[in-house]
Amino acid sequence: MTTAATPPGFVDITLDGQLVRVPAGTSVFDAARMNGVNIPTLCHLQSQTPVGVCRLCVVDTGARVLSASCVRPVEPGMKVVTDSEKVLSARKTLLELMMSDHPSPCARQQNSGDCELETLAKAAGASQPRFAKRTIARGKDDSSLAIAVDHDACILCDRCIRGCDEVKNNFVLGRMGKGYSAGIAFDLNSPMGDSTCISCGECMVSCPTGALTNKSVVGTAIAAGPDAQGFEAEDLLQISVFKGVSGTFLELNRGAIVKRRFRKGDIICREGEFGSTAFYILEGKAKVSISTPIAHVKTQGGAKGLFKRLTSTLVPREEDKREEETRDRTIPIDASVDLSYGNPVAELGPGDLFGEMTCMNFYPRSATVIAESDVVAFEMLRNVLDIMLKNKSFRAQLDQTYRRRALENHLRGVPMFADLSPDFIEHLKESVELQRFAPGQAIAQQGEPADSFYLVRIGFVKISENYPGGEMVLAYLSRGDYFGEIGLLGGGVRTATCTALDHVELVRISGDDFRQMIERFPSVRKGLEAVAAERHAANQQRMQMVQNVPIEQFLSQGLMEAQSLLILDLQNCTRCDACVNACADAHDGITRLVRDGLRFDQYLVATSCRQCRDPLCMVGCPVGSIRRRNSLEVIIEDWCIGCGLCAQNCPYGNINLHPFEVMIEDPARAGRKKAAIKQKATSCDLCTHLKEPSCVYACPHDAAHRVDPKTFFAEMLGQGIAK
Amino acid sequence: MRMDKTQRGWALASLAILVVSTVSYVSYSLTSPQGPRGGGTIGLIFGVFGFTFMIFAALLGARKRVPTWRVGRAQAWMRGHLWLGFLALPLILFHGGFHFGGTLTRVLMWLLIITVFSGVFGAVLQHYVPRVMTTEVPLETIYDEIGHVRSLLREEADCAVESVCGSFGLAKLSNAEVQRAGGFTALRTMAASAVPLRTSAAVSAGASAAVAAAPEIILLSEEESAPLRRFYLEEIRPFLEHPDRRGQRLSDAQKASSAFAGLRTLLPSAAHTTLDDLEDICDEARQLQRQARLHHWLHGWLLLHIPLSLALILLGAIHAVMALRF
Repeated sequence: MTTAATPPGFVDITLDGQLVRVPAGTSVFDAARMNGVNIPTLCHLQSQTPVGVCRLCVVDTGARVLSASCVRPVEPGMKVVTDSEKVLSARKTLLELMMSDHPSPCARQQNSGDCELETLAKAAGASQPRFAKRTIARGKDDSSLAIAVDHDACILCDRCIRGCDEVKNNFVLGRMGKGYSAGIAFDLNSPMGDSTCISCGECMVSCPTGALTNKSVVGTAIAAGPDAQGFEAEDLLQISVFKGVSGTFLELNRGAIVKRRFRKGDIICREGEFGSTAFYILEGKAKVSISTPIAHVKTQGGAKGLFKRLTSTLVPREEDKREEETRDRTIPIDASVDLSYGNPVAELGPGDLFGEMTCMNFYPRSATVIAESDVVAFEMLRNVLDIMLKNKSFRAQLDQTYRRRALENHLRGVPMFADLSPDFIEHLKESVELQRFAPGQAIAQQGEPADSFYLVRIGFVKISENYPGGEMVLAYLSRGDYFGEIGLLGGGVRTATCTALDHVELVRISGDDFRQMIERFPSVRKGLEAVAAERHAANQQRMQMVQNVPIEQFLSQGLMEAQSLLILDLQNCTRCDACVNACADAHDGITRLVRDGLRFDQYLVATSCRQCRDPLCMVGCPVGSIRRRNSLEVIIEDWCIGCGLCAQNCPYGNINLHPFEVMIEDPARAGRKKAAIKQKATSCDLCTHLKEPSCVYACPHDAAHRVDPKTFFAEMLGQGIAK
Repeated sequence: MRMDKTQRGWALASLAILVVSTVSYVSYSLTSPQGPRGGGTIGLIFGVFGFTFMIFAALLGARKRVPTWRVGRAQAWMRGHLWLGFLALPLILFHGGFHFGGTLTRVLMWLLIITVFSGVFGAVLQHYVPRVMTTEVPLETIYDEIGHVRSLLREEADCAVESVCGSFGLAKLSNAEVQRAGGFTALRTMAASAVPLRTSAAVSAGASAAVAAAPEIILLSEEESAPLRRFYLEEIRPFLEHPDRRGQRLSDAQKASSAFAGLRTLLPSAAHTTLDDLEDICDEARQLQRQARLHHWLHGWLLLHIPLSLALILLGAIHAVMALRF
């Protein structure tokens, strides 16, 4: 009823027996709130369009049914009752229904005790619902670095969807499914981490329950350091590289980034250490270097003289050239620069980011970084770096630094590109595209048209071929490696599938630029054609091998790819361990074989490098020093920093770390050296320094044999011995 | 070492030496007026050869200490050890004219006989036991690791049984560490979900070497789980702790199988997967027990053979010096 005294544009209503005046068009919910009456709700937020889906804000307006107050506008003379028995009973029933579908306590309730649903349910005495709990889980999504999704805790209030769409205009979130299986979805129901979500955090702050919670990064170890200077979000947003990053995100992650000051000579990070942070230099200069001796392990002696002791020593490639050893002039590291093989030292300055692979993929540090002057740097955890890398201005700055400082080296690192003229390199530096791929994402599929040549900038790419009965991994490529030339030079079709194994960044040279390059520089064409032919022949040979030995067990154990296997005939072997002792004796006390492994028939395939179909040892090497020869044998390049990741990754324990005492530069006192123990990864070298592998030579029972499995087992299989 | 046709060369050479020695000894003993004597020329020749063979046989131990020295393949040394060591016995008997002589020579003779026959016994064991072990212990692990593997099996069994019966306060492992115990030879299916080797994705995610998918946990009521609880505490746990204790039903594969079959009928089907897992664990423990026993057979005889050999060489040298000098 509008009385004569009611001004235009206002409405008088009765609210719980009190006459109140509110602007026309106001919702009952807002009218109540304006007059100090608190109506409970879950789906409604003042900043969002009301949708009335939770129905918890029901009030009695004298109509046939209760009304959702958030979407019911006031009417003149309306009599609203917010706390009648009928209303409270309806709300309690609704809360019970929602609680029966809610994991109590949810993550939010556990962490901060402020799950709105559980708080309301407790107040209404509905914490223990009368209804049966949900039996089919809707699942969790932990793929985002910043936000945890628990679909079971979702009450479908849509606050997150409206936050994403109306408040942030990102339009990533929506509804999927119907009825009991309905839920929220990112893009076309992608995992949150793989979606176009930019982790602004709006959905999380909108969520009334534990369905969307931030991964707590407030009390982190990096923030606990004595020299760590934390930030408020407002301070960070003043810094140019943070322009455009969500303030909400920074607020929620304020423990995940700190500013550090390093004095001249301070060690910022050490090679081989495991870490989880990246550094972004704001001021000052730092020296990045590898202190490990640039050499590989070689065992010498013994064969020439009876009493000459066998010793394992470190020798550089100039003194001991191994078959198919690379002639790379640069060592790839986890920074915006590469190091030179002859002098592995470089300089980092303001605007340089290092430790990206350590931070994103948890690989060991690839180099030691020492402050050359007073250095101020941001140290950040993965969630912050991830959001920064999605920030266009930061991304552009990094890309520019990369193009300026490292791209030429990477291009020149491809042996065939050494002859490219400076003007063409300049052209490529401007025209190449820098692409990012998420873990597991396919970069190119076998059989697809080939349209690009790729250079790996960050991360690991798995190159695999499908063959009848499975997939064979041809290689893991890391920083500085390249792929795509076979398809472009051949029939224009991809011959292998290339998949990002972790967070991968690639330099893409378009097919047009590639063709222009090979036309203009015949030496490049010649070199690439030679490599392509070599790789193609090796692939053909492998396919032939695979097709010729279709024995399931033989295949499943990966035996057909091995060049040389150490097998122990278990019917002869007395388990005396003479082979293991001999191996240790031949390698300065570090055995490279363990008398354990998979069995094939009566033979034990001992744990000595098997040249696996899927050489997992190569995944994660922070300096890309372990790789396959074309023959599939593993070679460890001279710049191995001895971090041990390959040894840890090898499922068969076939890679060992051999310690050496060496003199290295003392970081604490410039110009002086100090003794240190440095490790180098080693695998079975077949005792090439001797005439016969020591394990075989020392076996007194004729049980140990080094065999070519294709010959040895093919004969056996032909006799029908294998089961 | 297996006695097969690859030994034919050594066998024929040894037989030839034995025949020549026997013929020489027979003609010597027939022509010698005072009968065969160790101090005579022929007797001394037998003695020198016999002792040389013994020394060669004993040098195998030294050869094993320098495995990387290129002084002949260890396999050739072992064959020499076997055949020449065996030949030492008839040569020394010819040397002594089948007389055991005084105290020292009597001791030497008995030492030689025991040493040679312990060696023959060892050779027989090394011929058969590896085959038995290969066949009967498919889940064999490194001998020194048996204790460790057993403790892993116990922890695994505790976790498995507590996942269906509720806590006994035994399990130490977290659910994330449900790696099957044993070496690679022991890698096998667990709780109906294959234990995969590392995948590249797992490696890049920093996962552990072999992680089984978490089995669905179905907690039985106290009444339902009572038979399993009792069987576990009274039989499985004691067996896993002391597999060598006599009179245990689970020590015998057949009895164990029927015990588990009986228990299966008393438990709801939801617990059968766990029961299968426990049966596998008991089987592995039984195999490890068998391996330990066979290993003792394979190497235990050396405790007699090696000290006697050393004593024989030492006393033999004393005898040689004394006999030649005095």
